Amino acid sequence: MSSLALSRPGIVRRNLGLWLGLAIVFGLLLAGFFLPLPYDPIKPDANAVLEPPSAAHWFGTDNLGFDVFSRVIAAAQRDLPLALGGALVAALIGVPLGLATTLKNRASNLIMRGLDAFQAFPLLVLAIALVTLTGNRLEMVVLAIIVIQTPRFVRLIRAEGLAIRESRFIEAAEAMGASPARILFVHLLPNVSGVVMVQLSIAAANALTVVAALSFLGIGVSPPTPSWGVMIQGGARLMTSGEWWVSLFPGLAVFLAVMSLNLIADELDIIFERSSR
Amino acid sequence: MANVVQANSDAQSSPAPVAAQQRVAKPSRSGGFLRLVARRLLLIPISMFFVITFSYFLVEMMPGDPALAIAGTTASEREVTIIRQQLGLDRPFDERYASFIAGVVQGDFGISFFDGQSVRESIFRFLPASLELMVLSLSLAALIGISIGAMAGYFRRRAPDSIARIGITALQAVPEFLIGLLLIFTVFYLWRLAPPPVGRLGLSDSYPDPVTRFLFIDLIIAGDWDGLVSALHRALLPVLTLAIGTAAYFAKVSRTTIGAAMESRQVQFARACGLSEFMVLRYALLQARTPILTYAAILIGTLVGGASIIETMFAWQGLGQWGLASIIALDVPAIQGFIIATGLFSMLVYLALDLLVAALDPRVTHE
Repeated sequence: MSSLALSRPGIVRRNLGLWLGLAIVFGLLLAGFFLPLPYDPIKPDANAVLEPPSAAHWFGTDNLGFDVFSRVIAAAQRDLPLALGGALVAALIGVPLGLATTLKNRASNLIMRGLDAFQAFPLLVLAIALVTLTGNRLEMVVLAIIVIQTPRFVRLIRAEGLAIRESRFIEAAEAMGASPARILFVHLLPNVSGVVMVQLSIAAANALTVVAALSFLGIGVSPPTPSWGVMIQGGARLMTSGEWWVSLFPGLAVFLAVMSLNLIADELDIIFERSSR
Repeated sequence: MANVVQANSDAQSSPAPVAAQQRVAKPSRSGGFLRLVARRLLLIPISMFFVITFSYFLVEMMPGDPALAIAGTTASEREVTIIRQQLGLDRPFDERYASFIAGVVQGDFGISFFDGQSVRESIFRFLPASLELMVLSLSLAALIGISIGAMAGYFRRRAPDSIARIGITALQAVPEFLIGLLLIFTVFYLWRLAPPPVGRLGLSDSYPDPVTRFLFIDLIIAGDWDGLVSALHRALLPVLTLAIGTAAYFAKVSRTTIGAAMESRQVQFARACGLSEFMVLRYALLQARTPILTYAAILIGTLVGGASIIETMFAWQGLGQWGLASIIALDVPAIQGFIIATGLFSMLVYLALDLLVAALDPRVTHE
């Protein structure tokens, strides 16, 4: 039996949720870069201010005359790569670090202690402080995501790795004189790859809400570039006067993307659980 | 929401910072509990040292001249010099770091650059409002979440479970500030059931004497019942926002743990003894107690200070709103005080959790 359900026929039907999630995330991403937009997302139309959704403006227009639909799609160009990229880098740092902490030595204890103290903070607030204090730049948003997500990879991989290290085949490899690096990367890493993939999509989902929250607060954004969080903020006050569409549609975009990433994580979890039995 | 999302996934990857150290072992000997208390108390200064150092280096990380960044482009040379002195930038690094630690240990966080108030005073002034919001919303969230989770867990793999699972997953994907905005639109704008989100009391209400600084308690002490009703009415939307966001997490953890407990030997035995289904569910809930408590502790730890966006949205005047405003204004002493205060608070909550779990469950010992 193959290790992954992916190689068998009937794959699309069997893992419908996984493919649906992937389709939505990559659909949004591709649309952000390549979909021809009905209006220029960074040019407002002063004659069409706060128009409700209509045939001309599918998602309506905001208080400056921007077309909400065009901006929701264009924002995928910025928000999704930030979240996905941040999560990926966090995995690239966190996984080797997590594997290394399964070697029970002084350094790994110190790393874990440091992570414990670190976890005591409200992490979103930490991200906000980090980005603001370092000059409110876009790169710092990615760094904030890495700072938040890396400890999670470390903890998870350490927990998984410690369990696997008890296995006979690790003992055998050690008896044959395999170096610690070989044990970590040749023997342990393949066995945690499923967990890493699940955590990667959870991390991306989380990162996206962090990106949205940061830009909702106007942190790490440069004004004309559309971003879902900025758009939700732009419509926040209008909610009290009934112009719901300005905030709702970018909010739905965040919801859809986060939900899809969570769906991918759930489905991958089921697939890897199934294959490990 | 984002904070809570993070709290949740931390919990997924590792139940709690400290719960990871728990091992199920032989029943604890007498005196083990006191030893546990002592050991955990000793850990706090060590962790706090990390937190304090971290809060210090956050400012060190500021690129360029921090004094210039803080003062802004319109500041005079003299103002910049004053800020530079306050930051201690005219002194060598080790001296600055040592005097910072010495100050913090004595409870001196310095003076805010912007309102000139003592940072420690501000923390004590704004903390009660955050605690009130946290207690109200978490109680509501626990009530809703555990009820839904228990129902889903009881009807595992049947219709109520599937509906609850889809609902929980969907709710977890909505950013908390979006929940707040949607509630403002529906409950305030469409249905007119809540007052506008502009503060804890209306214009016609007067604030009571700050005896305890907990607004609800002070209103009761002052006997201002109209004020209390008004304050509770104004608390409706922010409490509901945070409760809806966090209820999903309570529901998720209780669904999983109660679902697993329902298939345990203990529950089989309870049924074999002929206990009523209500009693069976009670025993299942008892088994699920520790994970639910752990979640509650994580949420308590992150909501004080972490609810900053919601506090700001509803002008709640809590610690989170103050901290967020300080961060955006680059008010360095206030940011440091905020980070240290929230860090200390979460550590104390985790300590309380560990002790509670150890007291409730004799199988838990700590290495």
